[in-house]
Amino acid sequence: MWKKGSSEGSDRFEYLQTLVTEFQDTDSEEAKEQVLANLANFAYDPNNMENLRELQVPDLFLDMLTEENANFVEFGMGGLCNLSMDPECRDVILQSNGISLVTNCLSNQREETVLSAITTLMNLTTTSSHAEITDPAILQCMLRFSLSESPRLRNLAAVFLKDCCNQEQVARAEQQMQGQQTAVGIPLPKD
Amino acid sequence: MAAPGNNISSCWGVPDVYKHHEQKKICISRPKYREGRRDRAVKVYTINLESNYLMIQGVPAIGVMTELIQLCALYGAVEEYRPLDEYPAEEFTEVYLVKFQKLTSARAAKRRMDEKSFYGGVLHVCYVPEHETVEDTRLKLQDRRRYIIRAVRNKAREKEQKEAVNEKPTSSDKATTSETVVARHDKSADPDKTRNTSNICHYSGFPLLPLPPQEYHYYRHENPHGTIPTEDKMGTLHNAIIERVQSSSSYQTSLDKDRETEKRLTLNPSPAAVRFVPRTTHLENRKRRMEEAAEHSLTDVTINNEPLIGPKLPEPPKLDMEDGSLNTTVKLIRNTLKKVESVPDLKPVAKKMKPRRRI
Repeated sequence: MWKKGSSEGSDRFEYLQTLVTEFQDTDSEEAKEQVLANLANFAYDPNNMENLRELQVPDLFLDMLTEENANFVEFGMGGLCNLSMDPECRDVILQSNGISLVTNCLSNQREETVLSAITTLMNLTTTSSHAEITDPAILQCMLRFSLSESPRLRNLAAVFLKDCCNQEQVARAEQQMQGQQTAVGIPLPKD
Repeated sequence: MAAPGNNISSCWGVPDVYKHHEQKKICISRPKYREGRRDRAVKVYTINLESNYLMIQGVPAIGVMTELIQLCALYGAVEEYRPLDEYPAEEFTEVYLVKFQKLTSARAAKRRMDEKSFYGGVLHVCYVPEHETVEDTRLKLQDRRRYIIRAVRNKAREKEQKEAVNEKPTSSDKATTSETVVARHDKSADPDKTRNTSNICHYSGFPLLPLPPQEYHYYRHENPHGTIPTEDKMGTLHNAIIERVQSSSSYQTSLDKDRETEKRLTLNPSPAAVRFVPRTTHLENRKRRMEEAAEHSLTDVTINNEPLIGPKLPEPPKLDMEDGSLNTTVKLIRNTLKKVESVPDLKPVAKKMKPRRRI
């Protein structure tokens, strides 16, 4: 309810808090999904970043990445993709060991989840996290994605390889891949 | 690595049908407090899903391509378009691919055109990021990151300013340095931003009018802060917003409005110290307050709207786009907007004092 013109950010804070509370309290998977999608969409708006950080929503999203429900994973990953654009949220995610959790989503079956994961990894790249994000395993995964049938996946992986690592690293990863000869590791998403 | 050349050539290639083209089922099980103004599916929007490229389905096959593109041009400069003959279409309809110059335009167009009737058909508009080139994708992400950083920074500055104002409320009233002006603009735009995402308003009494053309971004490059409200308006595409044509007041009037806003803000220092409350009590409080708010909101409406109107258009747009075809588009948009604006204003009380938009 945007009463009083909502110029007071506290209204928004309370609303978001209500969402978080409902998410934690409800036993209904459906309600959880809806609230999670709500929160992830709120994370798209930079005006909410501070509130979401205060409510520890970045951690809530990270928790979702290890859920069994594929919607939880997709929405949580989408929320992280939105949040990680903000440098402060990025730092929070990095501190909560986000890279490995997000990296695991690269092998998710849903394309949308994988795309969010790639974008998030790009957002998470800082001077200190660079080494971890350009791990040869991740680069090889991106190389595979860059050959994908799906143009979105192909493009995004290409952007990653262009912007997040240097060409030497790419070349090395390519060599290693040729050495392996098999497509072990991360399967491509289905849809 | 995919050669960029490949992607460029495939950019306008034979389209595939992707899952995200489908309209998702609307969610009907939301509790009241999470209900939006429009029925929506459970879906998370990310920058990956958005695109300068839109696909418009359901266009009646009666030779109305020009009209369709003119409609699109209301929301921003169209860079390229073509019919997607290969795409499976319903009988007697056509599918079009439209590339907007700016993502913000595509957003506006999608929001305003989707599910709207057009020459007897109902349009379905969706983003088609799979038509992007690698470079398109790259720029899209870069723009988004830059925009977020700028918005967050502005918000922090605005907060500082607000604190400063709270300390000495009168002194700033006279100040007219460009910086304070900018800060006020941001602030006054805030309610609007908030409203965009609030997703929980039940009003529908405002005239539903299209957005002003997004080319304003170009004209206002020299004033980066000025572009924030407009851009942010788009920053939350997935939430229904009720746009109105922002009748442009003169710069001075908008400043006065902002001052009023400022005074109000100063009078009600925001209770920023809200912290966690036990959950059940909190929910009850929330409910009670929402009911109260519903009673008050009717009387509050006029005041609420004031800060939204003025500062969106700090200066009249300049004419020259430095490109013949763009100039033609701009002229077309202006003419159409003039027509649109001649629709009588439904809220004359709130807007009486302001001159109509000059195009």
